[in-house]
Amino acid sequence: MTRHLTDVGSIDSSSTQAAGPDVASLLQGYDPGKPATEPILHLSGISLAFGGVTALTGVDLRVEKGEIRAVIGPNGAGKSSLINVISGVYSPDKGTIGFAGQTYAAMRANRVAHLGLARTYQNLALFKGLSVIENIQTGFAPRVRSNFVEQTFAIGRARAEERSSRQAAEDAIALLELTAVRDRPVSTLAYGLQKRVELARALVSRPVLLLLDEPMAGMPAGEKQELAAYIRTARDSLGTTVILIEHDIGVVMGLSDRIAVLDYGHKIADGTPQEIQANQAVIDAYLGIAHPEDDAVAGEARA
Amino acid sequence: MANVAAPSTSNSFSWQVPAWLAPLAVVVAAFGVVPFVASPYVIEAILLPFLALSLAAVGLNILTGYAGQLSLGSAAFMAVGAFAAYNFNLRVDGLPLIVTIILAGATAAAIGIVFGLPSLRLKGFYLAVSTLAAQFFVQWALTKFGWFSNNSPSGVIDAPPLAIAGVTFDGAVGRYLFALSVVTVLTAFAYRLVRSQAGRNFIAVRDNELAARVLGVPVLRTKLLAFAISSFIIGIAGVLWAFAYLRTVEPHGFNLDRSFQILFIIIIGGLATIRGAFFGAALIVVFPLILSRLGSAVFGTVFDSGVLDMSQRIVIGALIIIFLIAEPDGLAALWDRLIKRAHGRTEP
Ligand SMILES: Nc1ncnc2c1ncn2[C@@H]1O[C@H](COP(=O)(O)OP(=O)(O)O)[C@@H](O)[C@H]1O
Ligand SMILES: [Mg+2]
Repeated sequence: MTRHLTDVGSIDSSSTQAAGPDVASLLQGYDPGKPATEPILHLSGISLAFGGVTALTGVDLRVEKGEIRAVIGPNGAGKSSLINVISGVYSPDKGTIGFAGQTYAAMRANRVAHLGLARTYQNLALFKGLSVIENIQTGFAPRVRSNFVEQTFAIGRARAEERSSRQAAEDAIALLELTAVRDRPVSTLAYGLQKRVELARALVSRPVLLLLDEPMAGMPAGEKQELAAYIRTARDSLGTTVILIEHDIGVVMGLSDRIAVLDYGHKIADGTPQEIQANQAVIDAYLGIAHPEDDAVAGEARA
Repeated sequence: MANVAAPSTSNSFSWQVPAWLAPLAVVVAAFGVVPFVASPYVIEAILLPFLALSLAAVGLNILTGYAGQLSLGSAAFMAVGAFAAYNFNLRVDGLPLIVTIILAGATAAAIGIVFGLPSLRLKGFYLAVSTLAAQFFVQWALTKFGWFSNNSPSGVIDAPPLAIAGVTFDGAVGRYLFALSVVTVLTAFAYRLVRSQAGRNFIAVRDNELAARVLGVPVLRTKLLAFAISSFIIGIAGVLWAFAYLRTVEPHGFNLDRSFQILFIIIIGGLATIRGAFFGAALIVVFPLILSRLGSAVFGTVFDSGVLDMSQRIVIGALIIIFLIAEPDGLAALWDRLIKRAHGRTEP
């Protein structure tokens, strides 16, 4: 596994210094006995249900700093729910979330950006009334300190903030090759382009942890490969840790350092791409072979 | 990544009119030409209500058009502004008119924040109903407590004359210039505001509140700011309505009908555009006058004030439905399209 930790933003270095991957934990997944390094994200025992529908059951997940961590699984397995729990959109019923040295019973959506977390959505969540660059600039919100008077008259702190948010947005636009559409209203863009704008908006705050919920869905294969390259670039140049939900197994195998597999809200496997490829439970889940333990949650959950 | 198709370059070498030129021309004409050509009737019956309603619509557009918070309480905030200005002027000796107006706006902003608090929990229809509470509460309080109208028996009070630094703006032209100055300054402010980070936050909260929150946009603060600034501007529009247009201060003029009128202005004019407020207000003010001329010309004496009122409501109602269906972006979008088409014709 390669790591490039050049800029990790505001995270307290003492609590999260990753001194290289621990081989055992990479192979075995989470080992509660002796964590060799402090993971940047550490979910333990996360459960979430909507009324009678169980979305997640006792999910543990350890994400090391600087890795690209894929989460795969069939539709309805709970992947998006997991991202929503991490980003504070949902509060888990049980379990804890450790992030950057702190432990939370639930994340708060209005705080996660300030903690260095950014995300994209399975179904786009852009601001239709704003142009591409304005959408991306919105991602700068956690750094804004100026008040509306300063902003309206472009005085005081607002001057420098506007300049840096523009610059950061321009950088993201250049990185994701959105220059030709930078001033277009986002609603006029094709779906694939909107997905890229959303990724740019998430990257602009230089997040410590980036959550991507099916960022390549609906893209042609060539574009997927290019987006995968950008995700790798973001990790390599910014040191961003990435959690990636993706259905295209080819992309996932090539891009991710480790893969967690969800099925019916349970984590059924966790390991390197090679291990996952050889895992019988994963093969069964994808081929739809029923396990005895699945019967309890099957039926309505999968409907 | 497949590079994005470059936009059409057919326009890149054409002569482009700077965006600020049109508004500047309008302002220059409004200050330099209109006072000399408009009759006192046109100023009193058309331009003064037009200015006050345009400003109120600019204010409501910040809240509803940009920040997406539906309000049916605009007239209440106009009333708060008008009565606050009256009382500041009455009870604080020697308070300059400008300060009075700013304090009136600030009072409306404070009341706006209070009635904006439900927006932190309520959305859409439910929020609209809660802003109705502002409408009824303010009207009730102003009628119930004589103190607000200095215990005038009729509840109708004469507005004080407009004077700044010894210069009085008493005649029709003077009041027009005064109102125009206030509207120009506040519109310029609104224009800058909606293009700033604060304005982007308004739109972000309107378009996707959850995504805005996760991005770190301070959603609650943004909503309350929209209520405060919107009410500030609408409150000052109320001062213009009472002091410059009617020259009386009375609660009855600031009723629910007025709130709806302002909402209709921004719907017809175009939500989330500053220009739209002026287009919509022009239509709402001028339209009844045209209708009454037209009606009496065609139907003679049968077309009395009752019929006029009725037909006015029907036509305005129909217009709103037509706009909502056919042109949800309002007159402003219609205007843009006309300009673009005219521009396109002159291009090779
Ligand atoms: N907001 C919600 N309300 C009710 N049920 C939900 C909600 N979100 C997810 N679920 C349910 O939780 C389960 C997991 O969904 P999701 O996390 O979206 O799966 P995935 O992203 O893996 O396809 C599904 O059965 C889904 O119907
Ligand atoms: Mg999903």
